[in-house]
Amino acid sequence: MRCSDEGRRGGVKELRDLARQLLADGTVDVVVGWEDSSRGARPIFAGTPEEADKLIFDTRCLHNLATYLNPRRKQVTDLGKLALVIKGCDAKAVAGLLREMQLDRERVVLIGVRCGGVCEDSMAPEPVALTPETVAPRCHGCDNREPHLVDHLLGEPRPEPPVPLLTLDERVAALDALTPAQLWEYWTAQFEKCVRCYACRQVCPMCVCERCVADKSRPQWIETASHPRGNFSWNVTRALHLAGRCVGCGECERFCPAGIPLAVLNRKLQRVVKERYDYRVADDPEVKTPIGDYRLDDQQEFIK
Amino acid sequence: MSNETSTTGLAGDSKAADFEPRITAFVCNWCTYTGADLAGTSRLRMASNVRIIRLPCTGRIDPLFIIKAFERGADGVIVSGCHPADCHYTAGNYHARRRFAVFHDLMQFVGVDPGRITFSWVSASEGAKWRDVVNEAVGKARELGPFTEYRTLNQHNVSADHVREPAVCAAATKGGEEA
Amino acid sequence: MTEPLFLSHEALADLVAGLIAAGTAVIGPAPAGGPVIPGLEERQRPTVTGMYGTLEYREVRSADDLALGPGMPRLSLKQFFLPQNEALFAWKRRGAETEIHETPTTFNPRVVLGAKPCDVAALEIVDAVMNWEYHDELWNGRRAATTIFALACGVEDDHCFCPSVGVAPDTTKGADGLFTPVSGGFLVEATTDKGRVFLESYGAHFSAPPAGGTDEARAYREAAHGRVGANVQIDAVRVKDWIEHHFEDPFWATLGVRCNGCGACTMVCPTCHCFDIVDEEEGVGCGTRRRCWDTCQAGKFTLHASNHNPRADQIARYRQRINHKFAVYPVKFDEVLCTGCGRCVRTCQMGQNIGEILVAIDQYAQQTGEAPDTTDVAAPPAEVAP
Repeated sequence: MRCSDEGRRGGVKELRDLARQLLADGTVDVVVGWEDSSRGARPIFAGTPEEADKLIFDTRCLHNLATYLNPRRKQVTDLGKLALVIKGCDAKAVAGLLREMQLDRERVVLIGVRCGGVCEDSMAPEPVALTPETVAPRCHGCDNREPHLVDHLLGEPRPEPPVPLLTLDERVAALDALTPAQLWEYWTAQFEKCVRCYACRQVCPMCVCERCVADKSRPQWIETASHPRGNFSWNVTRALHLAGRCVGCGECERFCPAGIPLAVLNRKLQRVVKERYDYRVADDPEVKTPIGDYRLDDQQEFIK
Repeated sequence: MSNETSTTGLAGDSKAADFEPRITAFVCNWCTYTGADLAGTSRLRMASNVRIIRLPCTGRIDPLFIIKAFERGADGVIVSGCHPADCHYTAGNYHARRRFAVFHDLMQFVGVDPGRITFSWVSASEGAKWRDVVNEAVGKARELGPFTEYRTLNQHNVSADHVREPAVCAAATKGGEEA
Repeated sequence: MTEPLFLSHEALADLVAGLIAAGTAVIGPAPAGGPVIPGLEERQRPTVTGMYGTLEYREVRSADDLALGPGMPRLSLKQFFLPQNEALFAWKRRGAETEIHETPTTFNPRVVLGAKPCDVAALEIVDAVMNWEYHDELWNGRRAATTIFALACGVEDDHCFCPSVGVAPDTTKGADGLFTPVSGGFLVEATTDKGRVFLESYGAHFSAPPAGGTDEARAYREAAHGRVGANVQIDAVRVKDWIEHHFEDPFWATLGVRCNGCGACTMVCPTCHCFDIVDEEEGVGCGTRRRCWDTCQAGKFTLHASNHNPRADQIARYRQRINHKFAVYPVKFDEVLCTGCGRCVRTCQMGQNIGEILVAIDQYAQQTGEAPDTTDVAAPPAEVAP
């Protein structure tokens, strides 16, 4: 859908029509998508035709709405059957939840939208034209701009997003080139800022554990205090628990009120599973996750 | 103090003759633990800095154990188990292999010197190999110095107005240094 | 207020240098630092984007670091009075005895220069709960050790709404004095004895206001009042009354369903003060009891040991946030637990807008008759009226 009036009338009309129809014939109780608001594009839970008419899709629709499928969110499960508007990265998260049996496929109707990339500021008052300056780094290298795991697929095919000024891979590579002492200094300075709000966990569509390991108190493995030692344990553990599962939506970094580059940390592990196990997260629930799987000839150069 | 030690990984007094690294080893019961026992009964000479924690299988080892060991004062960690195809529980070490590959790469990425964590496959008959693994791990930790900067991360960059935490724990004051 | 004095930019630099030399820490708004990946210095944008602000409050080494102008520091002043984590005491067991080593409650002197008035006012508002039944001596000790000069604010953007909650862009609530920007420097006034003593001690740096200086300062402050007056306006008492009588209103469901429970709003908020206390065992028989920031938006915040959770979903938790700030705290302490700084609005990535929410409540409160009081949360939520 273009960031122009033409696009708003075109692809968005398809989306609103479909939403209205799904609500009217009782297929779903609520359509979860985006609306334009006082805070730019933000999630809407449309339960009536009037609300369905507010649905939009433009470059400000950064949010990974799959986070609302967390089975522990009673306020959402209480709404009944959902339709969810999803981009390619969001579809990978839905696939992840299905793969890990956290979601009943019958519970959700998936409305896929073809995506040409998003900007970094969901709160811009108008859709933002994508340029190397404005495009979100998370979009670079996306292999799922036309999601597969969908019940409906809407929108015109979009061109590839522009290459951002600085990609996540370049930042990972620059860090990989540093000495352990330099890396230690960089990451302790970052983890020092962490206030343990757990925004990263709350927004992540893959962080759905009923009892997160950070909340486990008997024994308390992860120090809950927000000093750098506890923060190190938390951030490293979360990155590790996401290895092979992270879909690269970048929401963790966007939500972090302390500005910690979590997308870089998670990107590193995406690269690790790619290089070691030739694995890239796909929106196919049948493909196994790498850390729960193994091969007899797995790499072990780090083992004596 | 952590600020003084962070750039080189070496504490001011690490080269003092009295620094003895403390190594925690997480080993599987069936292979490495038995191999370590064999090293003992064979009277093989090796460094005595290692405290062994026995687990049923490397597949049981959660990376959090390693993090906790560093928090509590370990200068180095060894993780060791059965060779691939020899796991007493068939596939535990295969799962561990992937988990630890990722953990190893992540720890390196966040600045923990790879010399501080040693992974090995040591079978029940490889007493000599266990000796070599231990000696190497202790030597590496001795070279890198005490891992003070990890366990004192709770005091990292404490600002002037923030009163220093009373430090009364033995772990935090190992070797007489003020945490 | 004392008679205004003038502090030139040059004199400010000397003042800061003098304070630091005397062992007094100087805290103020400064460009947000943060580690840059070596090798990418030129290319790396700060990870903290414009939405959060590019300033932070920190201890400065000289006046060169201070950014006394427009811009809202990312986190509030709260961290200097209630640190994000601090030790309460350490313990060590020796045989049958346990030694307790408490954290001292006296602190080195500090001066805050140029803080946002909303951040400073928040401190006085939180003083009430910190001295309610239990006197929090760590908070009080830090308050006593700090002299605070606020900087009259030019209004950040249209998310500020300080007048609606009893604050103003030039309030001196919680402050020992006020700086107002004028040509060449600042007009400075003291509003407490502590502020007066400070101006006297460092009198050498201050001079008489230049001609027209007081008029310029007044015009600046009046313009700010005008600007913020165009933002969200609500009647806080009417809002409080509506909240007190509509605990089960379906309106709450429209808010809670969008919220992720991430807690970012509570972390950046100058008046939020909830903390968790943990005992961290750090060795055999020894450890430290610490407190750290906590958030009522967390799922397990009210989880009881019995496994009952009175706020079991985000609707209840989000309602609690609004309820506590705009009804419970005003009833208890006669203060709104909010200073209208707008950080929560700027920080929330899901688009929760407290200004919009308060306006909606105020509108409901003004409608004739009681709104229906239902508990039917299964009904499709009605959207918030813009």
